[in-house]
Amino acid sequence: MIKNEYIPFPSTIKEIIKHTDIEYTFRMSYEGEVKPGQFFEVSLPKFGEAPISVSGYTNDSVDLTIRKVGKVTDEIFENYVGDKLFLRGPYGNGFDIDTYKGEELLVVAGGTGLSPVRALVDHFATNIDEVKRLHIVAGFKSEEDILFIDDIKRWEKTSNLVLTLDKNENNYLAKTGLVTEHLPNISFDDISKTVAVVVGPPMMMHFTVLKLLEIGFKEENIWISHERKMCCGLGKCGHCKIGDTYVCLDGPVFKYTEGKLLID
Amino acid sequence: MGMDINTGALRKNAFRVTKRRGITASRVRIPGGRMDAKLLGEIQKIAELYGDGTVHITSRQGFEILGIPFENIDKVNEALQPLIDELDINQEKRNKGYSAAGTRNITACIGNTVCPYACYNTTEFAKKIEKEIFPHNLHFKVALTGCPNDCAKVRMHDFGIQGMTMPQLDKSRCVSCGACERVCRKRSVKAITMVNNKPEHNLEKCIGCGLCVVNCPMRAWTRSEKKYYKLVIMGRTGKKNPRLGEDFLKWADEENIIKIIKNTYAYVTEYIAKDAPGGKEHIGYIVDRTGMEEFKKWAMKDVHLDSETIEYDSIYWKGPKY
Amino acid sequence: MGYIIENKNLDLLIDKLREDYLVYAPMRYKGQGEFSDTDSIRYGEIKKASDLELEAKSEHTFKEILMPISETLFYYTEDEVKVAEAHNTKEALVFVRSCDLHSLSRLDNIYLNNGFGDFYYKRLRDKLKFVLIGCEKSYDNCFCVDMETNKSDKYAFSIDIRDGKAYFDVQEEALLKYFESVESQKADVSPLYVTENQTRVKLPSPENIDVNFINDHELWREYDKRCIGCGRCNFSCPTCTCYTMQDIFYQDNGKAGERRRVWASCMVDGYTDVAGGGAYRKRNGDRMRFKVLHKVYDYKKRFKDNNMCTGCGRCDDVCPEYISFSNSINKLYDATKGGRDD
Repeated sequence: MIKNEYIPFPSTIKEIIKHTDIEYTFRMSYEGEVKPGQFFEVSLPKFGEAPISVSGYTNDSVDLTIRKVGKVTDEIFENYVGDKLFLRGPYGNGFDIDTYKGEELLVVAGGTGLSPVRALVDHFATNIDEVKRLHIVAGFKSEEDILFIDDIKRWEKTSNLVLTLDKNENNYLAKTGLVTEHLPNISFDDISKTVAVVVGPPMMMHFTVLKLLEIGFKEENIWISHERKMCCGLGKCGHCKIGDTYVCLDGPVFKYTEGKLLID
Repeated sequence: MGMDINTGALRKNAFRVTKRRGITASRVRIPGGRMDAKLLGEIQKIAELYGDGTVHITSRQGFEILGIPFENIDKVNEALQPLIDELDINQEKRNKGYSAAGTRNITACIGNTVCPYACYNTTEFAKKIEKEIFPHNLHFKVALTGCPNDCAKVRMHDFGIQGMTMPQLDKSRCVSCGACERVCRKRSVKAITMVNNKPEHNLEKCIGCGLCVVNCPMRAWTRSEKKYYKLVIMGRTGKKNPRLGEDFLKWADEENIIKIIKNTYAYVTEYIAKDAPGGKEHIGYIVDRTGMEEFKKWAMKDVHLDSETIEYDSIYWKGPKY
Repeated sequence: MGYIIENKNLDLLIDKLREDYLVYAPMRYKGQGEFSDTDSIRYGEIKKASDLELEAKSEHTFKEILMPISETLFYYTEDEVKVAEAHNTKEALVFVRSCDLHSLSRLDNIYLNNGFGDFYYKRLRDKLKFVLIGCEKSYDNCFCVDMETNKSDKYAFSIDIRDGKAYFDVQEEALLKYFESVESQKADVSPLYVTENQTRVKLPSPENIDVNFINDHELWREYDKRCIGCGRCNFSCPTCTCYTMQDIFYQDNGKAGERRRVWASCMVDGYTDVAGGGAYRKRNGDRMRFKVLHKVYDYKKRFKDNNMCTGCGRCDDVCPEYISFSNSINKLYDATKGGRDD
């Protein structure tokens, strides 16, 4: 008998961390293996499922950072009063921490794109001796949109971190401008060997990769994470398919050399 | 010898008194507006042999053969016989042409043998009505159209018949594509709303156009086995008070509609103005005079409507009054 | 083992089969076509021989038996989830033509061999046996020969009806008894199949497909306007497998409800929508490109198998805008300049 992958399991909400008015991290009880960049299908009975990437984990929890942008997430923010959520997963390949060990690593994250790489960044910022150097460029629209500010402050101590805001009207303690504007100013030890991880909205990823290639990054050293409608997470429903790739099974994390072929 | 022509009898025989003395025109009725193309040859023959070689396509889907000298009338009537036979027109005497002209040709849109939207075979129904009511001298105008789009402009007739289908939904075949809701909202009457990702149908609002069925990619929406009609009545063109016909019956059936039209002949015979010029009065004016209740008393005699048929009690016509 | 049975005795055979099996076959649904006074040919459970519609091509396929159009996965209350029962638990015989029998392997690949196995698909799949309907002639828009699906060798039994008799080739031993139990004549029987179609396709060689080049190709732009995105091609396709998850709540008890999956179409608006309002492939031509490549390139590449398309031609049969899928394959071939040459 094939396991029924569609049946979600209940998970207790251990803690809710509010980042912005529309972005909360739900710390959920979970004891299995999980990787940064993987995702869970979070369901709220009555309203459906939404794929939410793992923004952190411990031995007995996963962090799911939820942005209020859809039917399901709207409901979680506005009306949900229960102490648990139903989950399925984790799905997708996620980021393999070993891949980046011993490298000079650059992580470029835009907005909510910081969620899927947060655990990866956190791992290396905490164990900084596992990488040659760690550069982080985190961009947000404005001061109000900043996520994981406590983490960012902590990461700053061990890494070369650029926090930038598209608009910085109140002179918040951050740089101003798009992430791409800051990339040329970073001093890399060896740009041709530096490994980059880029996650964010499609446009941001597109221009960031172009900029990285322009300043000397090699295609094969760039990793990206694709956003798609991942409806089943099981390679069945077809919504996330690009070419012969099912993002939910084969991704969402891709080497740029493969990811660049996923055009739509 | 001077011409001695009974113009009343001439008109009754479906000939016209034209502006040119001694010249008439013959009106060929084509019930339901469809016929075998070979009959065009018969019309051509009459026009070329007895007329001036031209025909006019009438506004009531007939042909009017023009420029016929009075002396050719008998020959024309004989030559009309193949048309009358082939189109199965009721006739009092063979080879004498049409037996009446008051009850006009029954017009129809192209109908469901061709049009994707039509809900029934309009020509067939038109012919059925023709068989029941023609020949008759009373001025009755009946028209049929396949769907509520009303391409045949049936609301400008004494009796207008619009095809309807009562959409049937099998929710288990629905894929939530929303095509029915969208088409009903944009092109029809917003009788469909999506609830729990599946359509909910408001039968009260529904006009039975069948667009939901035509646009459903899944056969989740299908047509009712039974064919339904809307009967709109007492529309008219004309000088005093042209107006659109108003809804009388919704979700009606064929047999009862035929009965109502037939019953109306007795009503008109009873109430037509005795001094009506040319014995011709639009039925609507008679109904205006007697009141709807009296009309219904006559028209609904022996009519037993199906349980799903909705009869509108209070009907108010509009249109400019001069 | 081959059998010939007079048509008048077919009801008896079907009665016998129905004692142990549900029998699904193409049926004619009178007056249920898209237009007034037209019929719909689709699958249903047959009760007698005259229910079988073996003359006309069905506009929808057998796949709705295997992957119900709208399938409840589970019921839930606030803290409990209960798996929905299968819509049938009895074994079933499904009458299909050769092209459709080939399409089964495509459905299996997606539902059983693409990452996770599908519980709901498997439990229905395990109950089905397939009966091959022989094809005496090719129908409009069929291109099975070029897709190499015109012939099938494995089936429970085959059926061909001609000259008042039904011809059966019974492969599954367990079914022999049904044929023995009615008046029948033993004979050598092999199912009919077509060897040529009027519609021909040339398939592009995978090595000639440069995704960057093809994705931007002008050929898709024609479909931006011609295609109305209704999804009929997908819903009638025997190999389309996509669905969307839906949660519904009961109106009388807002805390209970069900999760179901419902067929989806890559041609219909909403298919690629992501949370926050984004969507990919907004132009219908891009959706057409996605579909065509899926059917004659992507699937083949991923599963190292046949093409996904089996050449049944239903997409062409049902397109209200007269868009020909087979022609779009040929256009793709021309655009890639080369490939298998016939």
